[in-house]
Amino acid sequence: MEANQSVTFYDFLDRMRNPASLDLVRSIKSFIVSFSFYPANPENDGKKVQEFFLTMETAIRDHPLWAGATDEEIDSAMEGLEKYVMTKLFSRTFASLPEDVKFDREISEKICLLQAFLRPEHLDIPVALQNETSWLLAEKELQKINAFKAPREKLLCIINCCKVINNLLLNASMSGNHVPGGADDFLPVIIYVTIKANPPQLHSNLKFIQLYRRQAKLISEAAYYLTNVVSAKSFIVDLNAKSLSIEEIEFEESMQAARLANKATLVENPPTTFNTEVFRTDPGPSKFLDEKETKLKGGSKYPYMDAEAGELTVGDVEKLLSLYKDVVTRYTTLCSKVRHLSISKTDCPATSEGTSSLATELEETCLDANGKKE
Amino acid sequence: MGCGSSRLDRTSGRLNGLNNSENASAHDAKNLRVKLVLLGDSGVGKSCIVLRFVRGQFDPTSKVTVGASFLSQTIALQDSTTVKFEIWDTAGQERYAALAPLYYRGAGVAVIVYDITSPESFTKAQYWVKELQKHGSPDIVMALVGNKADLHEKREVPAQDGIDYAEKNGMFFIETSAKTADNINELFEEIAKRLPRPSQVQPSQPAS
Ligand SMILES: Nc1nc2c(ncn2[C@@H]2O[C@H](COP(=O)(O)OP(=O)(O)O)[C@@H](O)[C@H]2O)c(=O)[nH]1
Ligand SMILES: [Mg+2]
Repeated sequence: MEANQSVTFYDFLDRMRNPASLDLVRSIKSFIVSFSFYPANPENDGKKVQEFFLTMETAIRDHPLWAGATDEEIDSAMEGLEKYVMTKLFSRTFASLPEDVKFDREISEKICLLQAFLRPEHLDIPVALQNETSWLLAEKELQKINAFKAPREKLLCIINCCKVINNLLLNASMSGNHVPGGADDFLPVIIYVTIKANPPQLHSNLKFIQLYRRQAKLISEAAYYLTNVVSAKSFIVDLNAKSLSIEEIEFEESMQAARLANKATLVENPPTTFNTEVFRTDPGPSKFLDEKETKLKGGSKYPYMDAEAGELTVGDVEKLLSLYKDVVTRYTTLCSKVRHLSISKTDCPATSEGTSSLATELEETCLDANGKKE
Repeated sequence: MGCGSSRLDRTSGRLNGLNNSENASAHDAKNLRVKLVLLGDSGVGKSCIVLRFVRGQFDPTSKVTVGASFLSQTIALQDSTTVKFEIWDTAGQERYAALAPLYYRGAGVAVIVYDITSPESFTKAQYWVKELQKHGSPDIVMALVGNKADLHEKREVPAQDGIDYAEKNGMFFIETSAKTADNINELFEEIAKRLPRPSQVQPSQPAS
């Protein structure tokens, strides 16, 4: 089923290029464009997208191009639609609020500290379930999550991670030296794996899946697995000495030591690291710049304009990415406004991914449709 | 010792949870799908109850045991409707208690289990009932289950206490034994009967 997925997507794009689907394409296009008119509002945006999916599902079911289609075929089309729409809306909907970006960073920083000293025993994970190889596999699955933009594919990373853990539990019980505990075993292991993996933008990824994965697909086993990773995140966020089998004093000392170790790294690479900010309570969207960076910024909205590549550190990636998204969002908005003025056919620069030519083609089809309308 | 099954065929690949056509048939009038969350102390027998229900097995002496945290099972009722139970296990350790709302959110059924030989587990069950009354969805079907009913000689929670508590809280009560299979099917059948029927369930999708 997974192997077919890219075929499915191309099939979807293919059908969308069929002149008979012009009405569908027009709806998709105008829905995507409508998003650039308002500032990001995740809860609302999620509802709008889900409603749109349902409307489109009905439209596709009733559409001549899908006449006599099976439920599976309709489902494939919907998967294609979800992927298309959410790839197009990605920069607008993923980690779109400053507080989400901040939360992601805080979680990631806390995990960093925990990684320095947390052991499986602290979560009472039985020895039979301590399997570095399986854990590593599971971690790898989680860490892939940012390689995808479609909610379905992000969710799949989580499902794959959980399946690795399930297999580990199964093997442990089959070997006969562990009495299986169901969720009593599963949750601690997923928490530990999440901490070891420190998946990028954990909070934003989970939120994105919850808001934008088709609700009809957020059920059963998939929903169960997602809930477990959401639980793991929540546990980590609230984690203190009482959450673990560890003496309070040892916990505090270990956290402090980890913080100092982190600071030491900072001193070595002072310029543009944001690590120190984690436990501050108030940094707004731009306050997490340190002095040096503010100097670089020189009052500009785009502080890296004068930066040299050599000055940048890994810590800058997040900021750069969010600036990049900001620029792209502005540019996209500008493009669509320009299009609406019917001034020219100048296309928005699509991503340079494999799908871009098809996607661009679809955009052009839409552009024609829009042009005729106006 | 654990409970479980030596037949591994059903878990070695996939659990019967995820399949493509599932959502298509999820909510038609004749086939209900319901999320059931299991709550209760570790050790009261939640996993065993589910395994007994799903696989018809209980084998505390078997070395080969399976403890899945998500399982599903479909039953047919006399009125020719079917109910698919999607059973969500929750971690019973105290340090995870605060996470429970993430699991019972959206559940149509909560099965709260205690062990009739353990008064503490009965106290814990009452805690879960109160929590669900406060924070669960208002139309959730709750069942209170006193498990290990086969251990008469060690009983510490009188059946009447369970009956009284359940009655006071308007919930269904049953004593079960995952070991002897006593009342296991009855438990799930009774829950199925108490589910809101499709006519009362709002239509799954607004037609446009
Ligand atoms: N005698 C008896 N033992 C049971 C019964 N149900 C479970 N057990 C035992 O109780 C222990 C814990 O069961 P388990 O299902 O893992 O509990 P859970 O932690 O609530 O999932 C195991 O050793 C089981 O063999 C029962 O109905 N009767
Ligand atoms: Mg269990």
